[in-house]
Amino acid sequence: MTDHVVIVGGGMASVRLCEQLAGADVRLTVLADEPHAPYNRILLSAVLEGTYSADALTLRSPAWFGAQGIDLRLGARVLEIDREAREVVLVDGERVGYDRLVLATGSIPTLPPIRGLVRRDGALHPKVHAFRSLEDCTRLDASVSALVESPRAVVIGGGLLGLQVARALSVRGVLTEVVEGADHLLASQVGPAGGSVLARDLRRLGTDVYTGARAIRMTDDGVQLDNGALLPTDLVVLTAGGRPSTALARRAELMVGRGIVVDASLTSVTDERIHAIGDCAEHRRRTTGFVPPAWEQAEVLARVLRAEEATYDGLRSVARLRATGLDVAVLGDPRTAEGEVVEVTNPIAGSHRRLVVHGGRIVAAALVGDLSRVGLITQLYDRGTILGPDEPGQLLLPEADDAPAPLPDEAEVCACAGVSAGEVRACGSVAQCVDRTRATTGCGGCADVVRRLVGESGRAPVPVG
Amino acid sequence: MTTTHCPYCSLQCGMRLTGRRTPEVSAWEEFPVNRGALCRKGWSAAGLYGSRERLTSPLVRDRATGEWMAVTWDDALDRVAAGIRAAQAEKGPDGVAVFGGGGLTNEKAYSLGKFARVALGTSQIDYNGRWCMSSAASAGIRAFGLDRGLPFPLADVEEADVLVLVGSNLAETMPPAARHLDRLRARGGRVVVIDPRRTPTGDRADLVLQPVPGTDLALALGVLHLLVASGAVDEDYLAARTTGWADVRDSVAAWWPERVERVTGIEASEVRALAAMVGGPEARSARTPTTPSERPKVMVLTARGAEQHSTGSDTVLAWINVALALGMVGERGGGYGCLTGQGNGQGGREHGQKADQLPGYRRIDDPAARAHVAGVWGVEPDSLPGPGRSAYELLDACGTDDGPSAMLVLGSNIVVSAPNATQVTRRLEALDLLVVCDVVMSETAAIADVVLPVTQWAEETGTMTNLEGRVILRQKAITPPSGVRSDLDVIAGLAARLASPVEFATDPEEVFTELGRASEGGPADYSTITYDRIRDEGGVFWGGERLFGSTFAHPDGRARMYAVEHRGAAEVPDDDYPIHLTTGRVLAQYQSGAQTRRVRALPDDGPFVELHPSLAGRLGVVTGDQVRISTRRGSMTAPARVVTTIRPDTVFVPFHWVGTNRLTNDALDPASKMPEFKVCAASLVHVPLVEQAPLPAEHVPPLVEHVPPLVEQRGAPATSVSKPRLPA
Repeated sequence: MTDHVVIVGGGMASVRLCEQLAGADVRLTVLADEPHAPYNRILLSAVLEGTYSADALTLRSPAWFGAQGIDLRLGARVLEIDREAREVVLVDGERVGYDRLVLATGSIPTLPPIRGLVRRDGALHPKVHAFRSLEDCTRLDASVSALVESPRAVVIGGGLLGLQVARALSVRGVLTEVVEGADHLLASQVGPAGGSVLARDLRRLGTDVYTGARAIRMTDDGVQLDNGALLPTDLVVLTAGGRPSTALARRAELMVGRGIVVDASLTSVTDERIHAIGDCAEHRRRTTGFVPPAWEQAEVLARVLRAEEATYDGLRSVARLRATGLDVAVLGDPRTAEGEVVEVTNPIAGSHRRLVVHGGRIVAAALVGDLSRVGLITQLYDRGTILGPDEPGQLLLPEADDAPAPLPDEAEVCACAGVSAGEVRACGSVAQCVDRTRATTGCGGCADVVRRLVGESGRAPVPVG
Repeated sequence: MTTTHCPYCSLQCGMRLTGRRTPEVSAWEEFPVNRGALCRKGWSAAGLYGSRERLTSPLVRDRATGEWMAVTWDDALDRVAAGIRAAQAEKGPDGVAVFGGGGLTNEKAYSLGKFARVALGTSQIDYNGRWCMSSAASAGIRAFGLDRGLPFPLADVEEADVLVLVGSNLAETMPPAARHLDRLRARGGRVVVIDPRRTPTGDRADLVLQPVPGTDLALALGVLHLLVASGAVDEDYLAARTTGWADVRDSVAAWWPERVERVTGIEASEVRALAAMVGGPEARSARTPTTPSERPKVMVLTARGAEQHSTGSDTVLAWINVALALGMVGERGGGYGCLTGQGNGQGGREHGQKADQLPGYRRIDDPAARAHVAGVWGVEPDSLPGPGRSAYELLDACGTDDGPSAMLVLGSNIVVSAPNATQVTRRLEALDLLVVCDVVMSETAAIADVVLPVTQWAEETGTMTNLEGRVILRQKAITPPSGVRSDLDVIAGLAARLASPVEFATDPEEVFTELGRASEGGPADYSTITYDRIRDEGGVFWGGERLFGSTFAHPDGRARMYAVEHRGAAEVPDDDYPIHLTTGRVLAQYQSGAQTRRVRALPDDGPFVELHPSLAGRLGVVTGDQVRISTRRGSMTAPARVVTTIRPDTVFVPFHWVGTNRLTNDALDPASKMPEFKVCAASLVHVPLVEQAPLPAEHVPPLVEHVPPLVEQRGAPATSVSKPRLPA
């Protein structure tokens, strides 16, 4: 008998799970509350910025789900879970039975305690925008487009999302300010040195930054900060983080901490027929807000649902800021990771890079303002490569350029014909050289060097690099 | 003086030969592909002659003593035929296998395929081309309905605005081709090279990307992602000329540059730079999509670096998708092509030495194809066997209960070139009969039961099909040594002894005419090509000079796009094997080196391990130190070469010598059956001088030095007066 797996949520973790289960012996139903086909949420700021078209974000079309035999229901909101009957109840009263239930409900934006943010009727102040869904993005985009004459925006929250949105608005020509309650930007990823490099970069790009400052009141005039400043603005975007969406799980009396508590098989510790993945899940007292761990969880759960051995350890994460003009990569948790710290800060050039090394392995890193060799550093981190004592330091130094050296007579000039510089120098002209040695007659790459070595270029023979 | 073509790579450079015994090479300026240019392998090609190691008498090895004995041709062929009959009596027709090569002429490849299917009746035939460009071939057939390495003349490269070389080091592997890069750049075009090493080809590029081995596919997905995002794709072309675009478009939505960076090790900014280059100047913003007139002409060429992976055919499909999405396939100066490797890599895959194919690039499981070919051959269609095992699967089955117990090898040096070579060599040794046709005592010949000395290159006539699908003619220029026979003679001689229902021609032109009839109406149709036309026209393209201009070879005329996913290498580094190993070529050697190592003008420095100073520092190694490199399958020791041009997490070893392929992985691509030569996990240690004692016996390469001395058969015939010699 084929199991019926019901996934609540149509976000990135959910799609990944569907992809991994395509072709497996399970019947799949996806209950997605958003009206759009599943899309790549993390690129919303690029749509706002204008570098991406919104339809480039579609991860899988409804036709794809159909072709895989997956029942995708868009705009289907789940009201409650009836664990006894093994059914979920939709808003319209329909009940959907399950053998296995996967909660991939994601997170919901945190509403900061700002007076006036929510009006008496429960709606957000008309200038206020959240930035979580495609709908949020479309609405903000429309608002930006409608603004005329030096529009202004305030972004509340100086984390990864806040910085991406701030840069996007800035690129769109909106004068943007960022308000962050902690004493520096990206406080949950980098230390003060990295945060101050970022703040400087942002200011250079025309965005003012207020750190250690909390917005306390929203009025028609603007945003009032606790330091007394009033920031007049046309728009306010809330990017102060999110919290796992756990209401369904709580009502169903599953164990919920910050998120839905799961074991290494991503199974609820309360009900073995219920699983949770992505932002809504809590594993080893940790919740995450990034795609890579959510996908890793989806891949592990797919194997669990196929009755294969698989466990989630959630050891390695990489966070990359996607914002024009700002360079940030955070590997693991460089603030708390244990180990030796190798660090280079250059406030003049605007860079701060920190590697945390334990037992020769890079266990965490923060790279701000200079991403040279980020690809290699990430590989070494992901692979757990054991480095020699000098390597972490070398990784943070500029790469040595191969200095141009004079060509010794024995150096090979023409690889095609196997001709040395000395043999070329012994010739009186290029023609003679071709005749005697066949240099330049293969790939032709040495023609310039040969000309110079025989002195036909009008210049004296010079060293070449 | 004779016009002919170089004995080595798929460029098949034209050259002139003078002299009957020891030929001299001179330029053939008129031949369009190389216009007189040659690399040192070409210039020194005549050095193949006069080698003291040349075999001139059939040899038989006594299994009990290991001694070689010179025998007459009749005796040798009788023994082979008897061995074949014994194997087939025990195991049926499939008890005998045939292994061919991508260096064989079209005539030999054709005759060999026919010999297997008609004289032997075996399905067990494949060839080393499976390890060359089969991933690109499989992808080309799926995407375009047809596989011709380059569907345009190589010189079209010069007309591109952006040329993307994925896993090609053509400046070293086919040097005269690099002249096109220079002319392209002189015109203002740009060159992109994607390779874990910065090679001499990369030195001629405007953008060099050095991905983690095995991640070219993810890079292609990332490029396509950005092209979709920025509106740089050619929707009109996609709608008119392709199917499958919608799924492909959605499948790349998950490949944003930072994710590509994490997988490939290429910085997100460089992925963006590549996408902007191929997408055109305005492709940086979705709000101002590229207009057709602004689109640069983009050409993507893949080679072994991208293809020799367990995900090789999907990788090629991903790059084909990029070329299709840009509307470039069929556009002059743009599109997709594969840079085939072996001399007759193209023709070798078209005429029936592939396990699943009949001449003309026909499928052996297609009833109409079987009927046509059987008609030309004069046999019943039902008498033809079905598809057999792919190259590695075939070798891996040798000497097993289900596999063949006898094998005939032509034009291949399996012991050096097969992946996981220790295992393959063990399988060859388990055969009851191994017969090798070769010009010297190659490493594979050295473990054979019977070695048949055959003619080579300028001693014989035959056609080759170069990397652009141009059929060219190698003409006999010199007299072969007495005692050798052509492969065609060997095939005909065995067929007669095996009571083949039909005879086999030995005159190349006659064979070519028959090949033309057998290929008629197939995807690769040679029926209108003649030796005279080839001589008159500087080679003849099968299917036309340029393909896909208005239609593709699928029944609906459209190209098919497939959504492919990155799976990564079959074996990734871990604590025990923490480094990526990749393999490739050096300029002065060709393939297993059986030819080039015997040319004195070519330097033979032996294998080496190329590694980055960071890794060298970690191991305490400097250039020249011996390092031992190990994988789950074997190990070898070679001197280190410390270079800054390779990724610090990757080492490179050239594959021309015994040992390298004992390390490589035999994981196969599910579609093409290509082994994963280009990446596996390895460990590296410094071997201090005191430890550099001789290696244990199982690590000693079976070089010719270890072949037992030759014992001349008593009363050997006059033909062996030119005493068969082996090196002391």
